[in-house]
Amino acid sequence: MEAGKSSSDLEQEVFSQDLCTSCGACVNICPYIKVVKDKVAVIEPCGLTEGKCYDFCPRTLTDIAALDKSVFGKTRTDYSLGPYISVEMAQAKDSEVRCRAQYGGVVSALIKYALDTGEISNAVLTRPFDVAMMPASTLVEEGNQMAEFAGSNYVSSATLAKMNEAAKQGKDSLGLVGIPCQVIALRKMQSSKHDTGAKGVKLVIGLFCTWALSYKGFSEFLKGKVDLSKVRRIDIPPPPANIMVVETAAGDLRFSLDEVRKFIKPTCGVCYDMTSEFADVSVGMVEGIEDWNTLIVRTPAGKKFIDKAKKAGVLNTRPLEQARLNHLKEASSIKKKRAVDAIQKRTNDKKNLLYLRLSAQEKKKYV
Amino acid sequence: MVTLELNQPGKTVLMMGDEAIARGAIEAGVDFCASYPGTPATEITESLARVADRFNIYVEWSTNEIVAFEAATAASLAGLRALVAMKQMGVNVCADFLMTVNLAGTNGGLVLAACDDPSAISSSNEQDSRSYARYADLPLLEPADFQEAKDMTKWAFELSEKLGLPCILRSVTRLSHSRGNVKLGELPEKKRTAKFEGVYISGAFAVAQHAALHQKLEQAREEFESSPFNFYVGSRKAKFVIVTSGSGWLYSREAVAALGLENKVGILKIGTTWPLPEKFIIDHLKNVTEILIIEEVDPFLEQNLKILLAEQAKTLGPIEVYGAKSGHRPPFGELNQDRVTTALASIKGLQPKTRDVKYVEKAKEALAYIPPRMPTFCTGCPHRASLWAIKSALKLDGRDGFVTGDIGCYSIGAGPAGFFQLKTIHCMGAGIGLANGFGKLDRFAFNQPVIAVCGDSTFYHAAIPALINARVNNSNVLMVILDNGGTAMTGFQPHPGSGCDALGRPAPTVEIENICKAIGVEVRVRDPFEISQAVQELYDMLQENGPRVMVFRRRCFRIEAKEKLQEKYYVDQSKCIGDDCGCARFCSRVFNCPGIIWDQEAQKAKIDEMVCTGCGVCATLCPRGAIMVRGAAS
Repeated sequence: MEAGKSSSDLEQEVFSQDLCTSCGACVNICPYIKVVKDKVAVIEPCGLTEGKCYDFCPRTLTDIAALDKSVFGKTRTDYSLGPYISVEMAQAKDSEVRCRAQYGGVVSALIKYALDTGEISNAVLTRPFDVAMMPASTLVEEGNQMAEFAGSNYVSSATLAKMNEAAKQGKDSLGLVGIPCQVIALRKMQSSKHDTGAKGVKLVIGLFCTWALSYKGFSEFLKGKVDLSKVRRIDIPPPPANIMVVETAAGDLRFSLDEVRKFIKPTCGVCYDMTSEFADVSVGMVEGIEDWNTLIVRTPAGKKFIDKAKKAGVLNTRPLEQARLNHLKEASSIKKKRAVDAIQKRTNDKKNLLYLRLSAQEKKKYV
Repeated sequence: MVTLELNQPGKTVLMMGDEAIARGAIEAGVDFCASYPGTPATEITESLARVADRFNIYVEWSTNEIVAFEAATAASLAGLRALVAMKQMGVNVCADFLMTVNLAGTNGGLVLAACDDPSAISSSNEQDSRSYARYADLPLLEPADFQEAKDMTKWAFELSEKLGLPCILRSVTRLSHSRGNVKLGELPEKKRTAKFEGVYISGAFAVAQHAALHQKLEQAREEFESSPFNFYVGSRKAKFVIVTSGSGWLYSREAVAALGLENKVGILKIGTTWPLPEKFIIDHLKNVTEILIIEEVDPFLEQNLKILLAEQAKTLGPIEVYGAKSGHRPPFGELNQDRVTTALASIKGLQPKTRDVKYVEKAKEALAYIPPRMPTFCTGCPHRASLWAIKSALKLDGRDGFVTGDIGCYSIGAGPAGFFQLKTIHCMGAGIGLANGFGKLDRFAFNQPVIAVCGDSTFYHAAIPALINARVNNSNVLMVILDNGGTAMTGFQPHPGSGCDALGRPAPTVEIENICKAIGVEVRVRDPFEISQAVQELYDMLQENGPRVMVFRRRCFRIEAKEKLQEKYYVDQSKCIGDDCGCARFCSRVFNCPGIIWDQEAQKAKIDEMVCTGCGVCATLCPRGAIMVRGAAS
């Protein structure tokens, strides 16, 4: 961590550079930084020279090897998917859960199981379509509430702000479902010298993510075409469709992905992580198979939890074919390469990669 | 029984200048009073409201000054005596009517009490309203002390009736708001009934009426020649005379005494400053070679007198004139005895008699004990929360949005109390008016969102036409109405939304949101104390186009705290971690409510229970949750 950086530096280096991921790590730890929708801002400079806000941000110095060490106790050997113990295909055994879910319902099933069994006492989850299509991070106590949280949205919400709020209320033993930038920030918080709410997080389920859309741009784009409050599901069918499907009570709308890509948050272009590499377990889609997920188990704690869940009959699993694994690795590598290129294009700096610090091996592969 | 009601002619009582004006009106048998509150004029109408039933006076707080003036004029046209009181900027609001009622004329006595605020102590401008009298060709009276405030007011009604014109009575803060002795006059028996007759039309006969107006003015001049409010003190042989009016009279007397010039310097005190009593003045300046003109703010008397001196050059011979033009008195700022003494001493080549050296030293010493204070909102003031919400929403929006301000307590939001949010302040209603224009600059690559803030009373007074304009021209403006339930800055007088009249009796209300809805703009009503919701909704509204209104409704806490017992808050010092928090003393430094202080000993925040009104907003903002309600601590 760089010493002596403040909220004003955060504002200058991240917010004003359009690099904020709206993860929420800096929100609700002081009275100065606030979030509305997916917009985070420093309302007033606090005047301090060093800030947790700066340290926690996933777009300030992020040393991949150092994070590997603090989360996994060792550095990675796989430079595409990050550290992992196993990769397989999985789905919720409960067909009702699967029915509501975007794909295999693994996340819903796991969180429900964790809450029901007391593995965690609360979960920080995201309700995908809360008000006018904006997702809302929510603190959930009961496993049977899971139905509201199934499904994906392509707009991100400040999940860690909700986690900070929960910590303020004294909640510990939390589970958290987040996208890669949120997981990175969470791990930065957990490895920091400060007393943070992240230390009460016991289970981190990371989601695969290629990009998120800016709420303002995307909602304005949809506004004239559809009643935002009626949106029930958004899906991007696998290539070569190149479309986005917005499902509403009044029927489906299809857009060319090229139209929608205009609203991708600029910060997603410099993102180096597609598969939530620092989570306990990561979950994503399996290209071409609708009702299954890819499940990556990464940490020993994650493995222990998944083993228990399997034993309890929460999941169906089957191996992921080598070809699919290769394909996943390739997709992840492409994202990394793109991020490095985008960073270099931004900065015109061959040596330093903005916020990213890579090991020599990774540099060799991507720079 | 209040002093105003005393029926003891000849008894001397202590009265505020504004009360003296009210008593003068009562002694004149005033029937009707309509006003809009404004410092320093407010207490005239408040005084009359207190005795309205006793003297059968109709008293109202009107929606704005021009409506008040028009309503009062109606009473005059029906043969009644009517008073309308306002601060200097209110006269500007009345100007349109003033420039026609002077031509159309009046019937029953009609007095416009214009109270100026030199040094702009409680105003957004410094203005000398006397020029309106010259501009509108109306008689002008300037009381110089408390007795004159009463007596001139009474006489103004008689004069108005005689001339068929409204009379302007000009007071200033130092007269309106300080107290002095007043010898009471008789209380009349009132028998007037109202009946409208005749035609009062300005326009068709404007030129003939204008000619007649000048004749009436000459008639007024004749009246003024023998007025007891114009007099001379000092030796008639004095070659040096101070010519003064209004508050200048007492300062001049003190200055002459302070310099021991009683035998050498005469004082010509003019109470009727427009039109000037020319013969009276010429008569007193015949053997004079030098004059010093002492008056407050504009060189009004000075310029009119100079014209007279030029006209009378043959009779009077050369006279050296000192005043604002010569640099002996600044034509701005409040007068005081020191200023007048210094002016007089410099002309006379004397050392100005300053205060006792020891006194001055002690005063300086005492000054060091006074902590520097910026104007701030009261503890529990909803404006602090509203402006923090506005600041947050604008910052989150990130397009460099800004706030156009208006007139009310929230005007101090331009300073640290309101986190420097207000970027323009002019007259009442100007905030939304300006925002109208900013909101139409999009074709010039302007993309900054504009928030117009406006008080509730100001909304009724002056903002509605601009909001209509925003609607029909589809201007991109977010209007935030800071509704604290009354005209708070002047002492919580009721307005059309308050539900009571000037006498505190129930009255119908006109709802702000109903007006907005009728205009056709989107309107939301929220509580600014629900600060995070307020921020979110403002942010959402900032993303929309066209005119929108957010009403932040929360009663002024000074009133609220009086009406019901408030919760007590305290800082749980085991939860507040002081400078380790990372909030950098947000509560006592940035949010800066006077109810939150820094406990030097504990190095933690602390609530000053003496001033805290228990609004609880700080508790929602504290990142540690260390500010608690007493009894509700877990």
